[in-house]
Amino acid sequence: MRGLIALAGAGLVGALASGRPELALIAMPFLVFAGVGLVLAREPRLAVEIELDRTRLLEGSDAMATVRVRNDGGGPVQIEVALLRSRNLTLDPPGAVGILLRAGGHSELAFDVRPQRWGSHAVGPAVVRARDLLGVTTWEGRLGGRADVRAFPREQRLRELVAPLRTQPFLGTHVARVRGEGIEFADIRPFRAGDRVRHINWRATARRGAPQVNDRHPEHSSDVVLLLDTFEEARDRAGGTLDDAVRAAAALARACLARRDRVALVDFGGTLHWLEPAFGATQLYRIIDALLSSDIAFSYAWRNVDSIPLRVLPSGALVLAISPLLDERSLAMVTDLRRRGFDLTVIEVSPLDHASPGESGDDAVAFRLWRLQREAMRARLQSLGIGVAVWARDGDLGPALEGVNRFRRSARPAMRA
Amino acid sequence: MRLLAEIGLVVLAAIGVAGDVALLPGTSLTRRRRARALVPARPDQLVALERLTTSARTSAVHVHAYLRPVLVDITSRRLAAHGHNLDRMPEPAGRELLGDRLWDIVRPGRPFPEDRRAPGVTSQELGAMLEVLERL
Repeated sequence: MRGLIALAGAGLVGALASGRPELALIAMPFLVFAGVGLVLAREPRLAVEIELDRTRLLEGSDAMATVRVRNDGGGPVQIEVALLRSRNLTLDPPGAVGILLRAGGHSELAFDVRPQRWGSHAVGPAVVRARDLLGVTTWEGRLGGRADVRAFPREQRLRELVAPLRTQPFLGTHVARVRGEGIEFADIRPFRAGDRVRHINWRATARRGAPQVNDRHPEHSSDVVLLLDTFEEARDRAGGTLDDAVRAAAALARACLARRDRVALVDFGGTLHWLEPAFGATQLYRIIDALLSSDIAFSYAWRNVDSIPLRVLPSGALVLAISPLLDERSLAMVTDLRRRGFDLTVIEVSPLDHASPGESGDDAVAFRLWRLQREAMRARLQSLGIGVAVWARDGDLGPALEGVNRFRRSARPAMRA
Repeated sequence: MRLLAEIGLVVLAAIGVAGDVALLPGTSLTRRRRARALVPARPDQLVALERLTTSARTSAVHVHAYLRPVLVDITSRRLAAHGHNLDRMPEPAGRELLGDRLWDIVRPGRPFPEDRRAPGVTSQELGAMLEVLERL
């Protein structure tokens, strides 16, 4: 249409400028063609539906979006269909797909949908452009609804977790420090009134000449608070520390809930969100849903432990702070928690992998200074009895946690004090 | 006069045709929008240190007031890992471990520079000091 009008217009202007009517005659067929096209054109009646075969999937995996297009109009139309999508979602085919629909006909188009990052994404509506058969008239509009897809973070399987210092009196998998009904042998002691006969250690009784019983450690669960730092992040084109932090939080939540711990989540940043501690698979889905909406919220507000409701931070809980340790408020927070006696471990999502030194010599030196400064900061936290697991991009979280457990075993006397 | 009127008429007609053509629908189905990828973010800590290394070159005051606290923190933590205490370190041992230039900056009780216009620390000097710290 645009080309026809342009040609006709050029011919008419040329005729006017040169005073030669032949040019106007040459332009006339184009004008007539455009006019006939406009007269014959009927607005198409199209209907579009978008459907996803899966609405929940892991980041990096595929879903299929089916776009059903129906022509309810009286004549055939040429259609181009493209899908709108949220960022971090890729479509295959990426652009518009063209089809010819007869009157009353319908067609199905398939698009591969792949979320590149965890989070809530949307496919649709479809941008549809229809042309009449002469290609003169074009209609364009957005049709169909929006289909939502939730991409869960990829998780690592963790063999070893941070062992809590204190346990709660609920049945779990941690050998408690206290003595009671359990499987793990603790000690032998003289029989007392009220002891069960089945607990008598007959060999020890025979040796010592007086009734002796076995003491045991019960198996208890613990409270785990996942503290996700969303004050600041380091980000490059391939991803950011928040992406990794959410993956770590999801993996830790799954592993802790699998060992029957109560798990709470605190999203600690410019905005504060929390989930109270609870057991079970339902809590896992609550936590993952909450993690999917995590984002860096810029704020000047100073927040500390007092901002967090007490019921979210039960006494004796193991606090796992997942942080890139970039913001002063996060550092103050972990230091404050430790000084208040919380059993605390920091999982440092290393920002070094997401930043690169600048081009100048000064910037390269600054980068080395930053690396040393972060090591000093880590040493300062460790001197307070806080275990720090450094998790590098694409690395395994398991070995980092093993290192923390080693540190906690050696630092335990200091932590008790 | 008539020629001018004709030229004006032709120009107006050309503008009108161009405007009409421009108003017709475009050829691309969806407008090309710049991909809204998440913007790369450099950490404030790193940006602050980049400024610090640049400003430390300008004067001894900058070195004393801004660079020295950072170097003292790093040096004391790295020395502590080897059982040394920077605050109680004798000068000969400090000079031997850290080198003269770094020791002059991080030594305990370093006075405020008398000559405020004295030159600061170049990035080459700072790089050499960091090499000493990295070796510790």
